[in-house]
Amino acid sequence: MSIFRKLLCWLDDATYVWRQELKHVFRDEGVLMFCIVVPLGYPLLYSWIYNNETVHEVPVVVVDQSRSQLSRQFIRMCDASPDVKVACYAVDLDDAKSLVSRQVVKGIYYIPEDFATRLNRMEQGTISVYCDMALMLTYKAIYQTALSVTTQMGVAIKRSVSGNYTARDDLVSTSPLQIEEVAVFNPAGGYGSSVIPAVLMLIIQQTLALGVGMAAGTSRERSRYSDLIPINRCYSSVGRIICGKSMCYLMIYAVMSTYLAVVVPRMFNYIHMAPLSSLVVLMIPYLLACVFFAQTVCCLVHYRENVILLMVFISMILMFLSGVSWPQSSIPSYWQGVSWLFPSTFGIRAYIRLNSMGATLADVSFELMCLWILVVFYFAMACIVYAVEMSLSKRHTVERLEVLRKKRAVRLQLKKKAG
Amino acid sequence: MKHLNNIWAVAKRECKILYVNRIYFYSMVVFPLLAMIFFTTLMDDGIPQEMPVGVVDLDNTTLTRALGRKLDGFQNSRVIARYPSVAEARKAMQENEIYGFLYLPKGTTDKLLASRRPTITFFYSQTSLTAGSMVMKDLKTTATLAAMGVGQATMRAKGLTDRQMATLLQPIRLDLHQVVNPWGNYNMYLSTVFVPGVMMLFMFLISAYSLGMELKFGRGKEWLGMADNNMVVAILGKYLPQAFVFSSIIFFYEFYIYGILHFPHEGDMWDMLLLMVLQVFSSIGFGIFIFGLMPSLRMSMSICSLWAVLSFSLAGSAFPMMGMDASLQAITWLFPLRHYYMLYQITVFNGYPLIDAWFHLVALIAFTLTPWFVLSKVKNAMLNYVYIP
Repeated sequence: MSIFRKLLCWLDDATYVWRQELKHVFRDEGVLMFCIVVPLGYPLLYSWIYNNETVHEVPVVVVDQSRSQLSRQFIRMCDASPDVKVACYAVDLDDAKSLVSRQVVKGIYYIPEDFATRLNRMEQGTISVYCDMALMLTYKAIYQTALSVTTQMGVAIKRSVSGNYTARDDLVSTSPLQIEEVAVFNPAGGYGSSVIPAVLMLIIQQTLALGVGMAAGTSRERSRYSDLIPINRCYSSVGRIICGKSMCYLMIYAVMSTYLAVVVPRMFNYIHMAPLSSLVVLMIPYLLACVFFAQTVCCLVHYRENVILLMVFISMILMFLSGVSWPQSSIPSYWQGVSWLFPSTFGIRAYIRLNSMGATLADVSFELMCLWILVVFYFAMACIVYAVEMSLSKRHTVERLEVLRKKRAVRLQLKKKAG
Repeated sequence: MKHLNNIWAVAKRECKILYVNRIYFYSMVVFPLLAMIFFTTLMDDGIPQEMPVGVVDLDNTTLTRALGRKLDGFQNSRVIARYPSVAEARKAMQENEIYGFLYLPKGTTDKLLASRRPTITFFYSQTSLTAGSMVMKDLKTTATLAAMGVGQATMRAKGLTDRQMATLLQPIRLDLHQVVNPWGNYNMYLSTVFVPGVMMLFMFLISAYSLGMELKFGRGKEWLGMADNNMVVAILGKYLPQAFVFSSIIFFYEFYIYGILHFPHEGDMWDMLLLMVLQVFSSIGFGIFIFGLMPSLRMSMSICSLWAVLSFSLAGSAFPMMGMDASLQAITWLFPLRHYYMLYQITVFNGYPLIDAWFHLVALIAFTLTPWFVLSKVKNAMLNYVYIP
């Protein structure tokens, strides 16, 4: 057989595997759910959850024992701020505490009796802020609002007592140095804008692993000896199987990842700075790595449902390892090492920097390189596990053949005797 | 008495199943403990420390250099590089080297000494909110201290006393009380929701899985037979060993975080035990309920896992529920983790009276009782359904 014909035959087999796998995917509702419904639906759900991005009007209770013009000014200014709403007034701290306990408010502003007196005496006045630490975002809103209001009031007080002559003097004495604060890449500090890009990338890897794992589990259960690979001429070499199966999932996920990486950020107006060409350069190794990763993982699965037990809880861990919820520089080195085994770590990091931070491909070259290394690594791993599976299924077939042959021999002998 | 004997028999049978199939051991013991160790060691620092930041110092005087050193001295930030221009520093941010930087333009000191109010700028990235807000705090404090330092020097020259200066620099002082968690420790804040969340995930999955496996291997009739076709007995017997294992794991987790890591808690041991029992039984109840609604191994497990993953967001611990749309706020009621979180933070974390969390207590009890509605469906499934792969 010429090389050309061999190649043609190889391609023929691979496409046969491809078609078979595609048929399996569309017949199996479990696989369909993880590969089509979840990638389509989850981004919408998460976008809905984080739709409002930031927390506004956090309710607080005020205990105003000063009852002065200054204390009332403080309360009015806090109430007027975007982040805090003065929901109640309480007589004393115990009263206020019971409101926190009943979840009516998230914090307490306590203005002591001598607040205005001290300020008018040109002494430092104090306001106490009590925060419910069960929620970090409300704590920040309550504290930062109080901070900016007291700073603003402080400036006015400073001006009134400083004895300056001109407006310029006032400016220089209250703020000799102007401070400008610039929050770049996600300027509003939106929660969704920071978390959702990571979720999008993670969905690709996790649903692929779940889908491929379920499909593998099904084919094991269909086979008589719970073998992964059916006995068929077309399934005769590892390369054909992996290429055929990968083509099937790449085909589905080319569509899904375009939706996740390109369409969803535009639909919900998350920051999307990356040009399409850079996203393509990122998604090719990411998808390949995820497909081979999924195929390696699926060989570990004997019952199809076990893949859910394994993969779902890892999502949480991978989310934290990506460096979005917890800064990458603070992840202990041993967990950093673990995170390098998963394509999602690099996929998420590269995607966020390309899409949310406007980095160029050169800026994420390290992540791209790691992804390509993972592609090679997981391809090799997939080859190895498939080769093992193949030899297993061959052995099972041979054993079965032996049994059948013996049976036939016995039957023939019996026939002879009878005849 | 007969019922008790039956429950005992079913429970013994269940123990055997748990022992034989290794996946139970992994999902009930190994993975939950792994999650526990992961989250508590990942955030062992409590708050992110020594995060890389940069300085763009175009002025390069003793004053601006002192600012850079001051920034480096903060606990959360470490100045890892000085950049020759803002563009270079921005590029460093995009290359993931720094989270933010301080920009001191040329002529800062000159203008400052001449009372011409120079501007200094700090930039920080908000793509990781935790890192961004921590770095922001340090950058802001550095800049504010710089401004205060100048004012202080002027005032001292005018002959003001220290107390007068303190008053003039900061007329109103904030006295911040971070109740129960005075360090603002993220480990105590996140691990106490995410680890129980992972445990709930496994309880959902395992309770649906173990019912589905009866169906899959056609042992349903045998199981019901041992309970004399009494569904309550069958369910109790089946889930007692599981509840016991999960309770022990959670008990160990609570011992670990409160006893060894010393997480703060105002509530006493009884609050914790109540929470533990409710967590275990409501999750198992939910798993059985979902299986009853869809008596198929695959569908019920898929639904359970999707539900459990969503509950991490809908628990409202990271992004508060009050920030969500009103309809979503109502939907959060359907997630046991939400009620767990509320009950935890009200009774255990803050030590407030249980009555203030009555709604969440009732909700968790309701989840525990949901299997009641599907008992007949589960029975029907066990007796009549055939597993289709």
